[in-house]
Amino acid sequence: MAETILTVLKRLNWGVAMLIGLMLLACAAFVLTEIVIRKLGSSLGGTDEISGYVMAIATSWGMAFTLLELGHVRIDFLRTRAKAGIRALFDIFSMVVLSVTVTLIAFRSWPVVERSLANESRANTPLETPLALVQIPWFLGWVWFAIVAWLTLVAALMLILRGDFGAAEKAIGAFGEEEVIK
Amino acid sequence: MTGAVSIGLLALLTLSIPVGIVLFLLGFGVDAIFSPFPLIRGLGNLVWSTSNNATLIAIPFFVLLGEILVRSGVATRTYAALDRWVSWLPGGLVHANIATATMFSAISGSSVATAATVATVAMPQAEELGYDPKLFSGAIAAGGTLGIMIPPSINLIVYGFLTQSSIPQLFLAGLVPGLLLALGFMLVTVLICLVRPNLGGTRRTFPFIQMLRALIQLVPIVLLFGAIIGTIYKGWATPTEAAAVGVAGALLIAAAFGGVSIPMIGKSVVGTVKITSMIMLVVIGASFLNFTLASAGLGAELKAFLDGLGLSPLMTILVVVCIYIVLGFFIETLSLMVVTIPIIVPLVLAQGYDVIWFGILMIVLIEMALISPPVGLNLYVVQGARKSGKMSEVMLGTIPYVIAMLFMVAALIAFPSIALFLPMTLSGS
Repeated sequence: MAETILTVLKRLNWGVAMLIGLMLLACAAFVLTEIVIRKLGSSLGGTDEISGYVMAIATSWGMAFTLLELGHVRIDFLRTRAKAGIRALFDIFSMVVLSVTVTLIAFRSWPVVERSLANESRANTPLETPLALVQIPWFLGWVWFAIVAWLTLVAALMLILRGDFGAAEKAIGAFGEEEVIK
Repeated sequence: MTGAVSIGLLALLTLSIPVGIVLFLLGFGVDAIFSPFPLIRGLGNLVWSTSNNATLIAIPFFVLLGEILVRSGVATRTYAALDRWVSWLPGGLVHANIATATMFSAISGSSVATAATVATVAMPQAEELGYDPKLFSGAIAAGGTLGIMIPPSINLIVYGFLTQSSIPQLFLAGLVPGLLLALGFMLVTVLICLVRPNLGGTRRTFPFIQMLRALIQLVPIVLLFGAIIGTIYKGWATPTEAAAVGVAGALLIAAAFGGVSIPMIGKSVVGTVKITSMIMLVVIGASFLNFTLASAGLGAELKAFLDGLGLSPLMTILVVVCIYIVLGFFIETLSLMVVTIPIIVPLVLAQGYDVIWFGILMIVLIEMALISPPVGLNLYVVQGARKSGKMSEVMLGTIPYVIAMLFMVAALIAFPSIALFLPMTLSGS
C-alpha cells in the first residue's frame, strides 16, 4: 500500500516536472524571439509578464516533485548523528510541520484567486490578462504540493509502523550529501 | 525581536525542518507576537507576488544552462586546452583545475555544478600523473566556489531580489573579486609547490603551436560569456533575457559537440525543475519573513540596538564576518545566505555600508562555507568524483585556499573599490 502510494506519486510528479521543464524551455524560446524581433525594430510585447506567470506556475507545481526527490534543503548535522529510530522521528516531525505549513499557504492563497474571480481583475498591462486565468493554475500547484505532502507522510508513517526505517528514509529522509551531485 | 528570531531560527534549523518552511514558521511567529495587526492575511498575496516575477525566471534559465553544459562535454575540451597554457607553472595541472573552474564559473551560476564538472574531468588525470591528492582535490573544491562569484551567479540574483538591489551591478561587482580570487588561488599553489615541489606533480610545457591551437577550444565559452554578460552590460538585455540567450548558446555548444539528445534534454529540464523549486521555497519563505520583520518594525529596533552597542561600522562588519564563518560550518550555502539576509543586511546598511559591496563580501564568505566541513557541499562533490581516498584529504587540501579567501575578505573591507570600481565606472554613477 505505502509503496504503491509512493510509486504513483513519484510517477505523477515526474510527469509534472517534465511538463514544467518544457514550459520553461518554451518560455526561454519566447524570450529569445522577443529579443530578435526587438532588434528588428518591433516587439511581441508582454514577455516579462508571461515570464512572471510561467515562473509562478513552475514554482508552485515543481514543489511536490522536489519534495519527493528530497530536494528541499534541511540542515541535518544533528539528525545524521542519531540512530535510525530517532532519525525517523526527525523526519516525521519535519514532514508534519511541512504539510501543515504548505496547507496553510494553499489555504491563504485561495483569497487571491477569489478576489480576481469576483472582480474579474485583469493585469494592469497591455495584455490585460485575466488574472484568474494564471492564478488558478498557480493556486492548484500549492494545493497539489499539500496533497502530495500529506499522502507522502501517510505512506512514510505506514512504513515506519511496519518497522521499515530504510524505506521510510528513502521517502522522507534528508538528501545524502553525496547524491546532491546527480 | 532580532534575538528571538535568531534563536528560533537556529533551533528550528537544528530540528532539520526544511529551511524554506522554517522561514515561514518564523514569519508566523513574528506576526503573532510582534506585529500590531495580522499579517498572515497577506500571505497569499506575498507568495503570488514573489513567484510571479520575470527577474527570478533567470534562475531556472541559468540552472538549465549549467545542466546542459555539464552534459555537453565542453568541460573536457576546456580542461585540455587550459592544461596547455598553465601546466608549466609550479603545481602543473593544479592550475588547470583552477583555470577551468574559473572559466566554467563565467558561464555557470552555481558553484556545485562548477566543482562537479571540473572534478569529473580532472580526477582521472591526478592519479595518472602522480599529483598530491590533497592539493589537487582542494584546488577543485575551492576553484569551484568561484561559480557564485563570477557572473552569472544564481546567488547574486537571489541577493539582488531580496535586497532590491541591481542585479547587473552585482554581476559587474563580482567580476574583479572573482578573478582576483582565482589569481590568489594560483599564487597560493605556486608558493606551496615552490616550497614542496613533490606536491605539484610534473610541470609540462607544450609547443607554442599546440597552445595556439588549444585556444580554439576556448572560443565557445568565451563567446557564451560575452553573450550573457555583454548583452546585460550593454543594456540590450535584462539578466532574464541574457539567461535565455545563455540557454540557447549552451544548446548550440552541446549540439556542436554532438551532445544533444532527447534523454539529455529531459534530464536537464527535470534537474532544473528540482533545483528551481528548492531555491524558490527558501526565497519565498525569506521574502515572507522579510515582510513580517519589516512590518513589525525591525529597522527601528536594529537601529536602537546598534546605537546601544555603540559598535563602530568596522566592528560591526567584523562581527558579521565572524557570524558567517561560524554559521558556515553548519548551514548549507544558499540557505545561509537567504536566512541571514533579512536580519544582517538591514543591520549592515544601517551602518552606512553599500548594498552591492556587502553582497560581494557575503559571497566570499558563502564561498568559504562551501568548503568548510562538515556541511561544505563542494567537499562532498569533489570527494564523490574521486575513486579512492578519504574525505579528510579534500578538507586539508582546501585550507590554503581558505586562507586566500580570508585575504580577499580583508581586502574587500579595506578597499571596497575592488568590488565597486567596475559597476560605478560602467554605470557612470
